[in-house]
Amino acid sequence: MSADDLLIVESLDAGYGDLQILDGVDLAVGDEEYTTIVGPNGAGKSTVMKSVFGLTTHMGGSVRFDGGDITGLDPEEIIYEGIGYVPQSDNVFASLSVRENLEMGGYILDSVPEERFDAVFERFPILAERSAQTAGTLSGGQRQMLAMGRALMLDPELLLLDEPSAGLAPDLVDEMFDRIDEINDAGTAILMVEQNAKEALRRCDRGYVLANGTNRFEGDGRTLLDDEEVRREFLGG
Amino acid sequence: MGFTESFTGPWRLTADRVLAAVFVAVGLLFLVDLFWGLLISGSISFSRLGSLAWDGLMRGLVIGLAGIGLSMTYSILNFANFSHGDYITSGAFAGWATTYLLAGLGRADVGSLLLVGAGGSVLGGALDIGVTTTPVAVVAGIVVAGVATVLLALGLDRVVYEPIRSESGITLLITSIGVAFALRYLIQFVFGSDVRGTTAAGSIPQLQLYFVDGVVRIDAHDVTLLAVTVGLMLGVHVLLQTTKLGKAMRAMSDDEDLARITGIPTERVVRATWIIGGGLTGISGYVFVLWKGTLGFNDGWLLLLLIFAAVILGGIGSIYGAIAGGLIIGVTASVSVLWIPSAFSRAAAFVVMIVILLVRPQGLFSGRSTA
Repeated sequence: MSADDLLIVESLDAGYGDLQILDGVDLAVGDEEYTTIVGPNGAGKSTVMKSVFGLTTHMGGSVRFDGGDITGLDPEEIIYEGIGYVPQSDNVFASLSVRENLEMGGYILDSVPEERFDAVFERFPILAERSAQTAGTLSGGQRQMLAMGRALMLDPELLLLDEPSAGLAPDLVDEMFDRIDEINDAGTAILMVEQNAKEALRRCDRGYVLANGTNRFEGDGRTLLDDEEVRREFLGG
Repeated sequence: MGFTESFTGPWRLTADRVLAAVFVAVGLLFLVDLFWGLLISGSISFSRLGSLAWDGLMRGLVIGLAGIGLSMTYSILNFANFSHGDYITSGAFAGWATTYLLAGLGRADVGSLLLVGAGGSVLGGALDIGVTTTPVAVVAGIVVAGVATVLLALGLDRVVYEPIRSESGITLLITSIGVAFALRYLIQFVFGSDVRGTTAAGSIPQLQLYFVDGVVRIDAHDVTLLAVTVGLMLGVHVLLQTTKLGKAMRAMSDDEDLARITGIPTERVVRATWIIGGGLTGISGYVFVLWKGTLGFNDGWLLLLLIFAAVILGGIGSIYGAIAGGLIIGVTASVSVLWIPSAFSRAAAFVVMIVILLVRPQGLFSGRSTA
């Protein structure tokens, strides 16, 4: 962790209401870096993301982004800072058309420049084909792409992805990871939570292993993947 | 699980089919009777049916327009507002006080005009009120009815509903019943409990349309109601489908949490919902009174159950459902008097609602929230 990292989470305690989930979590995402959090169910992975985006009860520690303190800000404020968040499920407006979903993604802009639509359509050509269709009629993979497209409408510096491969057919999972690589290659830093730990660690720059709401291991993805202890405890051998 | 499925599955299917068959049979019976009466026995005249259907259309448009407001607050705020009926009455009184004032200024004292002739002090007929005789007063009344209801809705939201918005729907619902009583009896306290005639019935221009075997009368107030309600419905449609605000409202009715993390200013959308819903509701109250020619403190409350029926029938949350439901309820209630005493016409509307919901429990337009 260095002081000029894009996102710096320091000894964060957070949870929901009175229930504390995270206990002193430290985490950092560098500029244009691809970071993943893996760990068993209930480790608090998604809670880390939600805490960064202001969706949990803050109980201690700090979250800094791009040099500024965003601890305890509301999502409505955080979105202006340049962070986009794609929740795991219910992440599209089902009764709105694909294009309207993207339009909502750019809501905080006075008007959404057509280039933003073009950029998203270029990244996800299927969305261009389906632009007039209601989001509720899309397949799971298409919805996930739409959700990412919606978050990319503001061209965020950091994209938070919560289990982007959840519920996708195996052949789509690979495609999804490829798309995420492309988004990262284009200069957007990524913080991703993944159930599919091996693939996530293979692809990322930096990985964190979380268990019981605290840090267990961290390092670059490959190292974690080869680590004897990490393999035994968290990757199923 | 496999057992219960194989047990209840086919059985339920048969029961549903039997039920549907019974409804279809009863429906056909009514239809046959209607055709018999119209064509063979002549006991029902086409013009009577036409008049009743027209009357039902008018009623249905009012219910539909008021229903849009109810449906919007339901889908965006997750809250069944039982004070909605009394928003209608409030709008009607505010609008009619304005109309009386403008039409009667100099002819009666301002106090009794502002109280809409409480206690029979001024009569609408004596002021010669009507859309053709006092057009300015009527248009101003429509505008004031809308604006006053918007202010009332925003004020009540700020004072009563906003502080408890995070509570459960049932808390909000019961609170709104309290608000309904408070509003209604406040109106009764200020304006009195008598039902007054508001328009000069004799001087409204009428069109007599020949319809097969007689005439269907359509007067200027019918036409006003039709133009105002249909115009506003189209306006809401355009707003929801093409404007940024409208899309945000639909997005929020879809998923409030997602709307928030997308950066949609949810509180502003809530305010816009009250403004639009309140405006439509107040205006529906005004034109309803203009059309029926009487005004009483119970008007909105009596309409409320029909509006709920319409909104639920259409699929709660959908504005198109509210409109369609309103028309079905309105026309059913009116046309039913061909068979049953008019005192039971509301009951007929509810029977039709129940039958439609038995066959299609989710409502006609469900799943298309606000869209």
